[in-house]
Amino acid sequence: MPGCKAVVNFDEDSLTMAQSAAWPLAQSGGVEALAFASTTAPYWQRSAASLIAAACDLPAQTATADFGGSLRSGTTALRAALDAVAAGSVRTALVTAADCRDGAPESAEEALFGDAAAAVSVGSEGLIAELVAAASRSDDFPDEWRRDTDAHVRSFASKYSLTRGYTENVVAVGRGLFEKAGVQPEQIARVALASSDGRAHLAAAKALGIPAARVEDVRAGDIGIAGAGMPLFLLAQALDRAKTGDLILALAYGDGADGFLFRSMGDGARLQADSATIEYPTYQIYRKLREYWRTSGGGAEISNVLLRREETQNVRLHGSLCPQCGLLQFPIAKVCGACHRHGGLIGKALARRGRLFTFTKDFLYNAPVEPTVMAVVDLDGGGRFLCQMTDVDPAAVEIGTEVELVLRRMREGPGDHYYYWKCRPAPAGTGS
Amino acid sequence: MAGSIKDQVAIVGVGCTKFGDNFDQSFEDMLVEAGFAAFADARIEPERVEAAWLGTFSPYAGNGKASVSLADALRMYGKPITRVENYCATGTDAFRNAAMAVASGMYDVALVAGAEKLKDRPMRGLGWEGGHPYQHDGLTAPGVFAMAANRYLHRFGDRFGSGRAALAKVSVKNHHNGAMNPKAHFQMEVSEEQVLNAPIVAWPFGLFDCCPTTDGAAAAVICREDMARAFRDDYVLVKGLGLAVTSGRPWYDAANEYVGFAATRAASEQAYRMAGIRNPVAEIDLAEVHDCFTWTEISNYEDLGFCRKGEGMHFIGEGRSALSGDLPVNPSGGLKSFGHPIGASGVRMIYEVVTQLRGQAGGRQVRDAELGLVHNLGGPGSVACVIVLGRP
Repeated sequence: MPGCKAVVNFDEDSLTMAQSAAWPLAQSGGVEALAFASTTAPYWQRSAASLIAAACDLPAQTATADFGGSLRSGTTALRAALDAVAAGSVRTALVTAADCRDGAPESAEEALFGDAAAAVSVGSEGLIAELVAAASRSDDFPDEWRRDTDAHVRSFASKYSLTRGYTENVVAVGRGLFEKAGVQPEQIARVALASSDGRAHLAAAKALGIPAARVEDVRAGDIGIAGAGMPLFLLAQALDRAKTGDLILALAYGDGADGFLFRSMGDGARLQADSATIEYPTYQIYRKLREYWRTSGGGAEISNVLLRREETQNVRLHGSLCPQCGLLQFPIAKVCGACHRHGGLIGKALARRGRLFTFTKDFLYNAPVEPTVMAVVDLDGGGRFLCQMTDVDPAAVEIGTEVELVLRRMREGPGDHYYYWKCRPAPAGTGS
Repeated sequence: MAGSIKDQVAIVGVGCTKFGDNFDQSFEDMLVEAGFAAFADARIEPERVEAAWLGTFSPYAGNGKASVSLADALRMYGKPITRVENYCATGTDAFRNAAMAVASGMYDVALVAGAEKLKDRPMRGLGWEGGHPYQHDGLTAPGVFAMAANRYLHRFGDRFGSGRAALAKVSVKNHHNGAMNPKAHFQMEVSEEQVLNAPIVAWPFGLFDCCPTTDGAAAAVICREDMARAFRDDYVLVKGLGLAVTSGRPWYDAANEYVGFAATRAASEQAYRMAGIRNPVAEIDLAEVHDCFTWTEISNYEDLGFCRKGEGMHFIGEGRSALSGDLPVNPSGGLKSFGHPIGASGVRMIYEVVTQLRGQAGGRQVRDAELGLVHNLGGPGSVACVIVLGRP
């Protein structure tokens, strides 16, 4: 298959991608629930949603939930969030879904799968789309699965899987939605239909009576088949392109199907893509290195006492503000670094944007990708921060570069993943 | 009020091992060689030593931990021994503490030893030990200084042309001096082109901008000034000393201009005040300074007051710190060429300055050397120790 696909950097996983997608939505405030959905969560036991909530600096009362198991876990989480808001249980819920699925080397999945994340904020005010109807279907149809012992997705690839599995389920849910909402296929302006192979969605849309021109490009040729994040990503793409009043049909397949009918209310979503390109041989070396980095356990075990004590500082990214002289400092301190006031310093969240004050490109530090760029960053609104720089061409690094802080996987410990902040060039046009 | 121990303490014996890949020597072997060389140099029986200070930075394989490392090496038992660790200022701070103890009248004769065994370890270069487990992940010793060098070059580089070429001149000079030093790790000349074309370690530092990882030990015997003549005529006096500590996390200090080291400025002010030095560049005859990386030596010129901030690249460019210059810096070859076994380096610098003040430095002898300066800089430029030594 010609084209390219989206792949994570060596220091990313489904958790970090989902946090990045959720962060712009979390900043608007009032979030009372956060759900994370993925088939490739970094933990069997430990709530990624709780870590994401902390990294988004959401309060401890936030209701967090982890969804998994199915490619439609993202839409299942979305339906749960819609129901929770409709029931008045929470006012605003965030759903963030991501997957980084590795296909076995040389397999069709290796070429097909891409890594992506998307997040949706569900509430009852400031809407960009309103829910018209939702429907689901459960079907234990094993065309694609991964046992608890498998590193790669297994599949039973045949026409039978496509017709009996994919097409039958999404068409049934689509028709059910039309019936429920009393709409005709001609009224559907856009269809966000996740695909399992980059083609099947067109046949399913046709069976639903919707021409290909109204079906969202699933981006199989530049992003890839992106697991649990894909249905939400396509929904965001459809919302971006929709006009006010457009009816949008969103469908996701996986052990059954989920479907939603939304009506666009104007102002669209925000899509963001990273554009660094690597060639296939580099990708293969890079994947090996990533695997090595993730499994070699080269780092030291970090005390859980220290990790918990420093959560506000290291995960929530708070510093200390001096009420006397106004200095904002990191790490959290008891004594002001400027006027030396003792006590009474106020906890304050740091801005997650800033400019490079200085840096180095270090070839001595042992990392999968050389050089490691170490950055000293002057944060907007105060505070100076030290971190690695990522997602950057080292040749493009210079003092003054605008950066944003992003959560990333650090050096793997002997028995745990460790997450901390790195900086990367701020996306153009998102100035603070 | 700051007291003074000027002219109260004398160095009467020094010793130093060959620095380098001392694969056939253990930590204790090196301490024995340097320690007994210092005893022989002072013409003293080891039993006359009343107290000792050991400077060593990083214990490994049972060596370097606590005072027993020195006691067991020299079989010196039942005496007060203190292990000192203060980043790369470990050796000079051990000396400083010993000198103050002798000046206090507590002891007549003391031993200062510094040692480090780095080459037994499976590592390339120096990592960054003891930092926060992931806040500091990614830092290495060259990286820490490179971040400062890049800011410096950003601010001052354009005024004086290509900054990396100025840095390279430090390496060329120190290798030139080290080539005349039989105890140096690297006794070879390098050209500016070689330095500039070497593989990058941490931009802007290439391989030849970085000091090596080295094994070595050095020692000094000190005593009360009024006893010194009993040991030898050409003893050397402690004229001034200072130690200053700034933040070990300079990257979090938004007020830090990141173009030099306040610790060096404060430590040298203390030492100059004690020694009565008003114009360091005119009064000091030679300096052994902490050139862990080439740019560090340039910043040292400025922080030690040899020239103004931003003019260090001129200072090296005009040859003022060369052996033939008006203030020869690192006639030994410096950390760059002599090597940098961390805890040993400060004591090794004292060894070099004493050798120079006695006029025994051979081809690298600085003419008419009366007053010499020793400078260590530890951590990310956080701990500086300055010692001024002079002839009686």
